[in-house]
Amino acid sequence: MALLEIQGVSRSFGGLKAVIDFDLTIDQGEIVGLVGPNGAGKSTLFNLITGVYPPDSGEIIFDGENIVRHKPHEICRKRIGRCFQVVKPFADMSVLENAMVGAFCLVESPDEAKRKALEVLQFVKLDQKRETPAKNLTIADKKRLEMARALATDPKLLLLDEVMAGLNPKETEEAIELIREVRDHNVTLFIIEHVMRVIMTLPDRISIIHYGRKIAEGVPSVVAKDEKVIKAYLGETYDFTATQ
Amino acid sequence: MMNAQNIPFDMRQWRSPRFYIPLILIGILFMIPLVIYDPIFLHLMILIFFYAYLTISWNVVGGFAGQLSLGHTAFTGIGAYTSTLLFIQLGVTPWIGMFIGGILAAIAAITIGYPCFKLRGAYFALATIGFVETLRIAIESTNEIFGIQFKGAMGMTLPLMGHSPLNFQFLSKAYYYYIILIMMLIALYITYRISKSRLGYYLFAIKNDLDAAQSLGVDVSRCRLKAAALSAFLTGLGGTFYAQLVLFIDPAGIIGLYLSFEIAFIAIIGGRGTLLGPVLGSFLLIPVSELTRIYLGGTYFGVHLVVFGGVLMLVMLFLPRGINDPIIHAYYRVIERLEKGSVKTEVDHGTS
Repeated sequence: MALLEIQGVSRSFGGLKAVIDFDLTIDQGEIVGLVGPNGAGKSTLFNLITGVYPPDSGEIIFDGENIVRHKPHEICRKRIGRCFQVVKPFADMSVLENAMVGAFCLVESPDEAKRKALEVLQFVKLDQKRETPAKNLTIADKKRLEMARALATDPKLLLLDEVMAGLNPKETEEAIELIREVRDHNVTLFIIEHVMRVIMTLPDRISIIHYGRKIAEGVPSVVAKDEKVIKAYLGETYDFTATQ
Repeated sequence: MMNAQNIPFDMRQWRSPRFYIPLILIGILFMIPLVIYDPIFLHLMILIFFYAYLTISWNVVGGFAGQLSLGHTAFTGIGAYTSTLLFIQLGVTPWIGMFIGGILAAIAAITIGYPCFKLRGAYFALATIGFVETLRIAIESTNEIFGIQFKGAMGMTLPLMGHSPLNFQFLSKAYYYYIILIMMLIALYITYRISKSRLGYYLFAIKNDLDAAQSLGVDVSRCRLKAAALSAFLTGLGGTFYAQLVLFIDPAGIIGLYLSFEIAFIAIIGGRGTLLGPVLGSFLLIPVSELTRIYLGGTYFGVHLVVFGGVLMLVMLFLPRGINDPIIHAYYRVIERLEKGSVKTEVDHGTS
């Protein structure tokens, strides 16, 4: 069943066409990757889904409802969670308080929010550091915290924007593990990623975006051999036949 | 860690120093008028509580929500003018006028907050200055409108009623002392409850990172407007108190930017966004400002402002987050020592 349907979405900034007529359907329980060179429009697409700005044209249907022109906080309450490319922890608040802000999306009572927050912190293995101020965490832990915070809002769909960037191989391995566990908890994932090892192993499907257009979509191992994709990454003059 | 969460009072521990030390301190404040009759001293204490009260109210927007408002004296003005006009023209007791003024202030805050909260940082502060100055000049140049006597820049004197508790007028300073002390404690309790509630968490989250807060389902403008309405309501009540204390109001005194700056100074020196910062800041700054005004104001005009500025610079240089943190730390050290002492005596009892 389709959970998210992006239909012909476009968005320009002044003369720059950041996303052009983009289509994508994500089914319940999938992990879908969004891949493309820098400036291809990946984060713009995430911003369009989460209502940071509206698309110029096109529809975004989530769970059977058109969510175009809803505000970011409303989108969250429709249960789309999001982690940012540049981590945005609430620096002066403790790890627990950070997660509680997410949990308050569902409950009003601080006690219940605390219970829910501790649950997700345990899930991402940050419960030992619950009293630490968020600004004192390592980058890997900040990313975990961001994930915990988003999970505390109980999303059906979670958007992850380059959560592996800046992690060492061991931390990357742990993050992949964590994302698989998230999926096992009935959360559908839409991820932007640059780390090759992640792109090739984690997603069920990937969609390649280049200059705002989708140029390929499918199983990672197949898409990686696509001529247009290789050209997008390595340049038009790359002799494709030489590697065959 | 959230500073406002960090309060030195725990109601669940009846026998712990955490419970009885704050009670003793509050008790001492309640005893003062019974022991000291000097009206000048009492007036100083009243001013300390009054400024603490205004700053606590301001702190909901200026501290918790992190929006530097310099327009809060618009709300003291609305409070003072509403209750005073109702009293003079319709004979409504200021006790009722006070709450009507508070509600009008809250409505004004929502109306003006809606466009202003879209501005960030210094632009917000500038917009609030524009708002308060417009209001001051409007009232200064209005003698009468729709039959309501504003009396412009001359200001209004409240008719003297002698000792008349029903009309919020007292001959002894002690009454004002207790009223403002209780108002201050109630305001403290309200801000304490806010800091522990969902709204408090949301305001701190917005202050830390607006985009992240939105992505977690926080309705930023709704939260800020809630905070502004509450803050303005409390500030409006303070305006009526001031009118009843001085029995005279004029635009320059109750709406001016000068009062706005004083509130912001107290908050910054005390510790913006902390629970007790406004009280501590007021206890430090108001005596400095009043004493220098009394002893130096007559001879060297404006010297008290220089001293005020000097204290501000010293605190900013050495304690950029205000005097709240070091004082609370020192306080905790005392409490912990007391707690160790009491544990020890309990053990002694057990063994003997």
